[in-house]
Amino acid sequence: MATQGPVIVLPGDQIDPSLIPSRPKKALKLGPGLRHIPPNELVPTVAGQLTTDHKKNSIWVEYNGGRYIPAVGDLVIGTVQRSAAEYFYVTLTDYTSNALLPQLAFEMATKKTRPNLNPGALVYARVCLANRHMDPELECVSPATGKADGLGPLNGGMLYDVSLGLARRLLMRKSLEDGKVAVLEELGAAGLAFETAVGRNGKVWVNSESVKTVLIVGRAIQETDEKNLSVDQQKKLVRKLIKEVS
Amino acid sequence: MPREAEPSLNERAFVVQALQEGLRIDGRALDQFRELDLKFGDQYGVADLTLGKTRIFAKVSAEVTTPYTDRPFDGIFTITTELSPMASPSFEVNRPTETEIMLSRLLEKTVRRSNALDTESLCLVSGQKCWSIRVDLHVLSHDGNLIDASCLAVVAALRHFRKPDTSIEGETLTIYTPAEREPVPLSWLHSPLCVTFSFFGEEADIVVMDANLLEEQLRVTSFTISFNKHGEICQGAKLGGTTVEAMTLIKCANDALDKVKELTTWLDLKLVEDSKRRDKGGLMAELSAENER
Amino acid sequence: MTVNTEPQALISHLPKADGSATFSYAGYTVVGAVNGPIEVQRRDELPEEAAVDVIVRPAAGVGGTRERHLESLIQSTLRQIILVNNFPRTLIQVILQIIVAPENEYVNAKITQASSNLPILPALLQTAILSLLSSTLPLTATLTSTALAIVPDQGGSNIVLNPTAREVEQSQSFHVFAFTSHNELILAESEGSFTMKEWDDVYARAYSQCCPPALSSDNDDAMIDDQRSAGSDLRHFTRSTMEQKIVSDLYWK
Repeated sequence: MATQGPVIVLPGDQIDPSLIPSRPKKALKLGPGLRHIPPNELVPTVAGQLTTDHKKNSIWVEYNGGRYIPAVGDLVIGTVQRSAAEYFYVTLTDYTSNALLPQLAFEMATKKTRPNLNPGALVYARVCLANRHMDPELECVSPATGKADGLGPLNGGMLYDVSLGLARRLLMRKSLEDGKVAVLEELGAAGLAFETAVGRNGKVWVNSESVKTVLIVGRAIQETDEKNLSVDQQKKLVRKLIKEVS
Repeated sequence: MPREAEPSLNERAFVVQALQEGLRIDGRALDQFRELDLKFGDQYGVADLTLGKTRIFAKVSAEVTTPYTDRPFDGIFTITTELSPMASPSFEVNRPTETEIMLSRLLEKTVRRSNALDTESLCLVSGQKCWSIRVDLHVLSHDGNLIDASCLAVVAALRHFRKPDTSIEGETLTIYTPAEREPVPLSWLHSPLCVTFSFFGEEADIVVMDANLLEEQLRVTSFTISFNKHGEICQGAKLGGTTVEAMTLIKCANDALDKVKELTTWLDLKLVEDSKRRDKGGLMAELSAENER
Repeated sequence: MTVNTEPQALISHLPKADGSATFSYAGYTVVGAVNGPIEVQRRDELPEEAAVDVIVRPAAGVGGTRERHLESLIQSTLRQIILVNNFPRTLIQVILQIIVAPENEYVNAKITQASSNLPILPALLQTAILSLLSSTLPLTATLTSTALAIVPDQGGSNIVLNPTAREVEQSQSFHVFAFTSHNELILAESEGSFTMKEWDDVYARAYSQCCPPALSSDNDDAMIDDQRSAGSDLRHFTRSTMEQKIVSDLYWK
């Protein structure tokens, strides 16, 4: 029972009750892809793999693809469209309404010293408000400490599009073990000097002194994404790209 | 409502900086086309062309109708390019954008006005009945360079198409169904193809062939020239944008001619492959001998 | 038997769309793309739910009343299975491009245009559902659709599943049904002249085709109903196609 193959669900399927984790004292946490129909029905709404975490007592549907839907706490990379009186209007995904970024939601920003972001600038921000009735809101500062923690404008470098699944894997705390993403570490180990920022909305920002380095890192990430490369294949790809350049 | 998202300043600066070092984001050479693939359908006149991530589907259809009153000896030939939101959500049905109008105009000038298809051969009964050949172009995915890809798809589909066979006895015109008589190819005179060049830099001195969508959004101007493999120019268009040195354009024209020759050979090969695939066991040779009689 | 090919599908193959699918079956090939939830025009905005917009494009020509009719049928069907309340004041766009439709070799092209609107509807619905699954928009259920015709046969009449163009031309009546994965009827369109008894028979046949009893996972050699072996099990096909895609996407798990 416990060692079945992956459980794939389609919208509207019935979930085998034995798969749902249940700890007597902890409430069951529902992740993306599931709908709760009171009193006790759980229905998947997307096609994906039903995944459970018994330690955290949570259940969700793992899937890749689709369009990014803002969720509170996500780190995203947005493009500033324009600035109005108190807010910047930031685009998170094409063809959706803009998110609002208050001009004071930056480290050390006061009414007199506002950050100067031109239309077209990139910002690394956290989603602090997201519900279906309102435009999402962002912040570039941690509300508790007042520090930026790496958030704020991103200068230079290049922006690459990746699938939502890869963005999620890159943002995992243990992206090599859990997410099986080895490219960035391999590239670093090969001696390239670069910095990256990953947005949960499917964007990766890469910066380096050398244009060639940025291109290699970008191509490595995109090929891993498009061709579904395993860890070994990723290592081979990095070796190939490094050899091409040198 | 134009909803096309503009690239960020970072992307803009980086792409140009990379080009100044002779590098493109996807690792191609400045004059290198993306991977081309062409599939023909089981029905005649259906072509599915892929150029990198751009995908175009062209379908040719024919029907009998009355010719225009001022041109009683010519048939009718139209190319329709209506972009749908499938290509990109910024396109709306029934609301042509600049991209769509440009595409339609360039195909018109390249394929129709250059008389690639002999419209006189489409005439059945002068002044009364003629063939109306219609090419419908559908963009399934837009990742730049719609013009070159569309022209190639249109030419491929037209050369692949077969129209129903006809015969005239006195006053009676008989049109044979595909089940009665094998359809016949169109009277094709030459194959014009387009090559688009994109320019970058303040002096428009960096020249790139086959730009993808990001490069198209960041270019300062573009130049499209249409040749056939004999070196005859069908049209040339540079519509606004930064000025370009005349010598650069002449060099582009020469590069375009080489590219067109290469593409024409490739297209011929694909058509031959397709006819071999259809001609199982040499039946085609027998049938065509019969039609010639 | 009328079914000449197995259904085939490609999922998420269009790089620029949020979700896409190409579906081929019974002589029809349709490419579908889904975008959403995206910004909606003010005039189409709905305060509590997402607006669902369906666009059907024929292979040849620009599309007229036939396409508008199909669009409105598909839109009212899809609206019921997409969780539109999750995305108020947005737009979900479903674009269906017809690539191949069966040609009748015995008739010239112009004449067959005046025929029925409905035969392509099941292929359009299947493509739409695969494209929606590819786009990971939340749905309440999946759906399966089929077409049937009642064709005169030596004095009596036969129910034919997935009729060819010639059979449609000769039929007395033509029917399209769609069922959700909860075995509920979501679409029923009929043309021609038929009795209530005939409709009941056709409905029962469609139900057995689209809502097959689930094969228990222990018994791989489940007996396949004789009638059902005539057409392919599209519900199972949708499931197995998506399973393949998901397993390949989540290769890293």
